[in-house]
Amino acid sequence: MTAPPVRDHSRQRRWVGQSIRRVEDPKFLLGRGGYIADRITPGTLHAAVLRSPHPHASIVRIETAAAQAAPGVRAVITGKQAAELCDPMPDFGPDPARHTWRCLAADKVRYVGEGVAVVVADSRYLAEDALELIEVDYEPLPAVTDPERALDDGAPLVHEALESNCAYERTFDFGDVERDFAEADVVITDRLRWHRSGGQPLETVGAIAEYDPGSGSFTVDTNTLSFTSYLFMAANTLKVPANRLDIRPVPAGGSFGSKLFANKPAVIAAMCARATGRRVAYLEDRVDNIANCDHHGSDRVYAVELAMMRDGTMRGLKIDVIDDYGAYIQFGVGHHGNALAQVVGPYTIGSVRYRVRAALTNKNQQGAYRGFGSEVNNWMLEQMVDKAARELGLDPVAIRRKNFIHQFPHFIPTGNVYDSGNYDAVLDKALELADYGHWRAEQRRLLQENRYIGIGVISAQERSVFSATEFWFWFDEPGAPVTSTPESVTLKVDATGGITAILYSCAFWGNSPETMVSQFVAEEFDCSPYDVSVVYHGSRDGLPATGPGGSRTTVMLAGAVEGAAGKIKDKARRAAAHLLEIDQGDLEWADGGFRVRGDPERRKSLGEIAVMLHLFKHSFPEDIESGLDGSKVFDHPYTTMPSADRKDLGVFYPFMGHACHVPVVEVDIETGAVTFLHYAAVHDCGTLVNPRSLAGHIVGGTAQGIGTALYEEYVYDSDGQLLSSSYLDYLIPSAMEVPELVIGHVETPSPYTPHGVKGGGEGGRMMAPAAINAAVNDALAPLGVRLTELPMTPERILSALRAAGATG
Amino acid sequence: MKPPPFSYAAPTSLDEAIGLLAEHAAVEPRVLAGGQSLIPLMNFRLAKPGFLVDLRRVAGLSGIRPDGDGLVIGAMTTMSELERSPEVAMAAPLLAEAVGLVAHTPVRNRGTIGGSLAHADPAAELPAVALCLDAELVAAGPSGSRLIPAAEFFTGPFSTALAPDEILTEVRMPARPGGHAFIEFSRIHANFAVIAVAALVELNPDGDRIARAALAVTGVAPTAIRVTAAERALAGAPAGDGAGAAAGGGGAGSAAAAEAARVGVEGLTPAGDLHAGPETRLALGRIYLRRGIELAISRARNER
Amino acid sequence: MNDTTTIGLTVNGQPCVAEVEPRRLLVDFLREDLGLPGTHIGCEHGVCGTCTVLLNGASIRSCITLAVQADGAEISTVEGLARDGEMHPLQDEFADRQGLQCGYCTPGMLMRACEILAENPDPTPAEVRSAIASNLCRCTGYQFIIEAVIGAAARMQAGGSVMKKAMS
Repeated sequence: MTAPPVRDHSRQRRWVGQSIRRVEDPKFLLGRGGYIADRITPGTLHAAVLRSPHPHASIVRIETAAAQAAPGVRAVITGKQAAELCDPMPDFGPDPARHTWRCLAADKVRYVGEGVAVVVADSRYLAEDALELIEVDYEPLPAVTDPERALDDGAPLVHEALESNCAYERTFDFGDVERDFAEADVVITDRLRWHRSGGQPLETVGAIAEYDPGSGSFTVDTNTLSFTSYLFMAANTLKVPANRLDIRPVPAGGSFGSKLFANKPAVIAAMCARATGRRVAYLEDRVDNIANCDHHGSDRVYAVELAMMRDGTMRGLKIDVIDDYGAYIQFGVGHHGNALAQVVGPYTIGSVRYRVRAALTNKNQQGAYRGFGSEVNNWMLEQMVDKAARELGLDPVAIRRKNFIHQFPHFIPTGNVYDSGNYDAVLDKALELADYGHWRAEQRRLLQENRYIGIGVISAQERSVFSATEFWFWFDEPGAPVTSTPESVTLKVDATGGITAILYSCAFWGNSPETMVSQFVAEEFDCSPYDVSVVYHGSRDGLPATGPGGSRTTVMLAGAVEGAAGKIKDKARRAAAHLLEIDQGDLEWADGGFRVRGDPERRKSLGEIAVMLHLFKHSFPEDIESGLDGSKVFDHPYTTMPSADRKDLGVFYPFMGHACHVPVVEVDIETGAVTFLHYAAVHDCGTLVNPRSLAGHIVGGTAQGIGTALYEEYVYDSDGQLLSSSYLDYLIPSAMEVPELVIGHVETPSPYTPHGVKGGGEGGRMMAPAAINAAVNDALAPLGVRLTELPMTPERILSALRAAGATG
Repeated sequence: MKPPPFSYAAPTSLDEAIGLLAEHAAVEPRVLAGGQSLIPLMNFRLAKPGFLVDLRRVAGLSGIRPDGDGLVIGAMTTMSELERSPEVAMAAPLLAEAVGLVAHTPVRNRGTIGGSLAHADPAAELPAVALCLDAELVAAGPSGSRLIPAAEFFTGPFSTALAPDEILTEVRMPARPGGHAFIEFSRIHANFAVIAVAALVELNPDGDRIARAALAVTGVAPTAIRVTAAERALAGAPAGDGAGAAAGGGGAGSAAAAEAARVGVEGLTPAGDLHAGPETRLALGRIYLRRGIELAISRARNER
Repeated sequence: MNDTTTIGLTVNGQPCVAEVEPRRLLVDFLREDLGLPGTHIGCEHGVCGTCTVLLNGASIRSCITLAVQADGAEISTVEGLARDGEMHPLQDEFADRQGLQCGYCTPGMLMRACEILAENPDPTPAEVRSAIASNLCRCTGYQFIIEAVIGAAARMQAGGSVMKKAMS
C-alpha cells in the first residue's frame, strides 16, 4: 500500500466543526444512562472474586465446602476448576504458552489481588459473605517487584516456564546511530523513572452473561467491546465456537484505555453462567479494579543519550528502556510501538537506537492507559531536550524551534510518517496564550523573594489511528502478522427518510461517537444531527470493529460513515435518476436530495427516494433491491509493511497531531507542594468535528496528566504488597488540583482523511506529565535540583532538595 | 465491597443504647454515629461488628450550648452544624477552623464530633483540637457518666479510653484566650491530612511576649499529640511582629516559632508511609508547627 | 442476622415504606429496591462522591450510608430533577457546556450542585471549584462543570423556572 490520495478539503462544512450539544447527553443527565450495573434484572446472580493477599505464592489447598453451603450461594469455582472450564485468556504477548494467563490463578498467584476463586450467589452481599468462608493455604514464594532486579540472574521467576523474567528483549537501530553519535559535539545522558498509574474510571468493568445450553451460546452484556475480529480468542477461552459468543456493548462510565479488550470479567461471568445455568453479573468493585484490572499503565526505567551539536541541533537518540509489565504481558510490547510512532517528537532527529526489555514482576499486568506508552516517550524526550538546553546554555523555546520538522509528509527514522503539522504555529499560539513573557518576568521577580516559580514549555506529538503491524513487527517471524483494524458503520434510511447509524463496538467511553457519527451523517445528508438515531450492535452478527484506542475513533468513524453514505447515495442516485427519468450524470446532491443540474425544481428528497425504494419495488428496474442502506467496513487507510530487517517499521500511526503545553507552577520548597499559577495548552488535531468536545478531552486528559505527574501511583512495596489499594491512597485529582486551562486550537488538516480529521482524545495526557515535570525542574533549577522520577510527590521533591542541601 | 451482616437497633434513649451495648457484648457491638468512618471500614470488611447501636434517635445527644465561656457540644452534633454555628465561631474558633478542613461537605453533613473523637483516626483533625484545647469528654456507661480529659483519651491509633460498654455523649470545649490556628498539609485538597497542627497562643498583657501556647500535631506519632517541648520553648518568648519568614517578615515572633518547631519535633520517630517517609514527616511537622505558631501569634496580636 | 427493619422515607417526593436488612447500603436500596439506577457506585468507601444524593436537602454519600439511617428522611436523587419532561437548569447547562463526557459522575455532581446553589445562589467560579472538590470526575477535568454550574446559577437567579425541553 502506498499513501492514500491527497484529499481536497476546500468544501464548506455545515456540521463538522460545530460545537453542538452532544447527542448522547440527555439520557445521562436524566439518570438513565443504561450502564452495565443498571441492567441487573430480577433473578440475576452475582459473582464475587476472592483475591490473593500474597504477591507470589503457590496455592496448596482451597477448601470451598463452607462457602458452597453458605446462604444464597449457587456455585463456587476455584482457579483449578476454572482451568478445566476455560482455556487461558486471550493473550497477544510474546509467548502465551509460557506466560500463561488465566481468569483465575490455578497453581500459583503472581500478584496481590490476583483472583483465586469466584463465588456466585443471589446477591453481591451474600457472595462476599461466602468469600470469607473459603480457606486457602498458600505457600509464599519470594516476590520480585523491582524491574531491574527482576532481570538479574537468580531473581525469583514469575513464570517458571519462561525461565526468565525478561519476556522480550530487542534492540532496534534506525538511521545511522553510530555516525550521528560520532559526529556529535556533546552527548546528553540521563536516567529517568516513570512509575505506573492507570485510567481508574469511576465505573469499573462489568459483565452480565447468560448461557443457552440448547444452542451452546453465550450472550454477554459488557462495558467493553473491542477488537471484534479477535473475539474468537475469548470464545476459545470459553471453549465455544466463535459464532456462539455474542458480546453486546453498553455505555461505559469512562475507560481511558482500561476497558480496552478487558474480557476477564466477561469470561468470569460467562463461565459462572454456564456453571449455574443462570444469568450472572460480575461487576468489579473498586478494590477489585485497582488490584486486578489488568490495565496498569507504563512503568519504565530509561537510560537515554541524546547526541547534540553545540548549536542545538539534535542528531541522534539512544534509548535503553526497561518496562515493568507485571505478572502477565497481554499486549506484548505494543506500548513501545506507540513510542516508536513518534519517538523523535517534532524534531528532525536522524537516528534512533531503541533497546526495550520487558520485565515481569509480581504486580498486576499493564494494559492500556491514555497514550498507551507514547506519553512516556514524550516525557522522556522533552526532559532530555530541556537538559540539553541547560547544558548548552540555550533557550528552551529556541532549541525546540531550531529542530522542528517543517516539511510534510515527514518520515521519521522508524519509518512512520507524520502526515501534516505546523509546529511553529502551535508553539507561537501557546506562548501567546501563556503570556510567556509576563511569567518569565514574574519568575525572576519572585525568585528575589525566595519563591520558586517554574514554566514548562514542551512540544510533543499525539499520534492517532494505530495499525495492526505494531502488534507484531517486534518479531522477525511473527506467528500472526495481522493487518486488520477496521471500524464499521451501517447507515439505514427508513421509509420516512429517517437515518439510523449502527455502530459495532463499545465506542461510548465518554468520547462522543454518537455525536461524531451524527455530525458526519448530517454533513453527508443535510439533516439535523439530532434526527439521526444511533444504535450499538453486538459482536456475533455485527460487522468487524476495533473500538476506541489510539485516538482512532474520529478518523475511523469518519471513514466508515463516508463509505456507507457513499453507497447509499450511489443507490439513491440510481433510484432518483429512474424516478426523474434522467441520466445519473445529470443529477447532483444538494439540500438533502438529488436534483437535476441546471433545473433545481426537478428533485427528489432522500425521503421521497427512500419511501419508493422501501415500498414500491415494481417502480424500479429488476436489479434494484428494496430498501436503502449501506455498510462500510473501513480499514486502516494508511499502513505499510515493515522491512524484513526491521530497520524500517513502515507506516503504522500516520495521522499525527501535535501540541504545546505551558504550565506555570510554584514549588513550595518547604513542603514539596506544587501549585499551578497558569496553564495554557494548544493542540493541533487536524480538522475538529466538535471543538468543544475536543477541548473537554484536552482538559480531562490534562487532569489525568496532572495525576500522573504529581499524585497517582500504584505503589507496591518491596514485599509486593499493594499500598495504594483504595482511593484513600491512590490519589485522583479533585477540582482543586486541576487549574483552569487556557486552550487554543490550531487545525492543520490531514491530507488523507475525510474532512482532514485526526484523533485527539489522548492528547492532554500525552503532554501534561512532560510539561509539569519541565515546569518543576525550571522552578528548582536555581537550587541545582532536577526531578527525573514521576510522580513528583512531596516526598520525592523534598528528598531531592535534601540531597542538594537545598531544603527550606 | 458490601458490609458483613450485623444485628441492629436504633434506641430512643441513652440508657437503652448503653443497655444494648452490654447485652450484645459478646458479638463486638459498635456505636453508629454518622458512619462516615465506620461504614467505609465495614465496606472493606476491616470492621465486622456483630451489633450496631444507632444513636440517631437518641434524644439529647446533639446540640451546642454555652458552658461558662466555653461550650458543651453533644456528641451527635454534625460537623456541618459545628461549621455553621455562631457559638462555635465565637467561643471555639480553633474548632471552627478545623471542622472546615474535615473532608468535604457531604462527609461533614453526616460525620459527628463524637464519632470522629471516638474513632480516633491518627490523621483526624478533631482529636488534635481536643488535645490543644484540653477538652473534656463525657462518657456514659452502665455505672453512670465520667469525665475523661482529652490528654488521657487517645490511647493509640483508632483506640481510646472508652470502655466497650461506654458511649461518648458530649464534649466540653473550654474557652481559651489567644490567637488560634488550624492548618494542615494534605496531598489532595480535603483528603486526610499528612500533617495537621492545632495551635493556640496567648500573649502577655503587654502583647510583646508569649504567655502560653498549646500545640497539637498529627502525623508525627501514633496519635495526635501535644508538643509540650515546643510549648515550653514558646513560653516567655518574644512575640515580635508574628509575620512568617515567607511573607517577608522575620521578626522575633517567627524566630521563636521556628525554634519552638525545631525543638517540638526533635526526638520524634514517626512511621513513614507511601505518602511521606519519616524524615519528610519530621520536616513537614516542623514547618507546619512553625507556620501554625506564626499564624496564631499574628491573630493574637490582631485581636488586641 | 437476616432480620430486617421497616423504614419509611420519601424519595423524590414519593413516600415509600420498605423492609431492609440493616446492612443494606442506601445506594443499593435506591438503585435496586426502588428502581432508581441514576445514582451510581464509584468507590464504595466514601471518597469519590459518585453516589451523592440529598438527604433533607444536604448532600451525603449514599455508599457509606445505610438505608436504615435514611428512615424518616427526604431523599432527592437525579431522577427527581427534571419535571414534566423538562430538564432542571443544571441539567440543561451541563448539556449546553458539555459538563459531562461519560456521564457516570454526573448525577452525583448534579445533586451536589443543587446543594451548592441552594446555599450560595451566586457563587464565583473559585467558590464552585472549591465546592465541587467533593466530587471526583475522571473525564472532564472539571472546567466545563464549573461553567455549567455558574450558568445554571445565573439562570436560576434570573427566572427560577427557565427550563428547556429534555430533548433539544
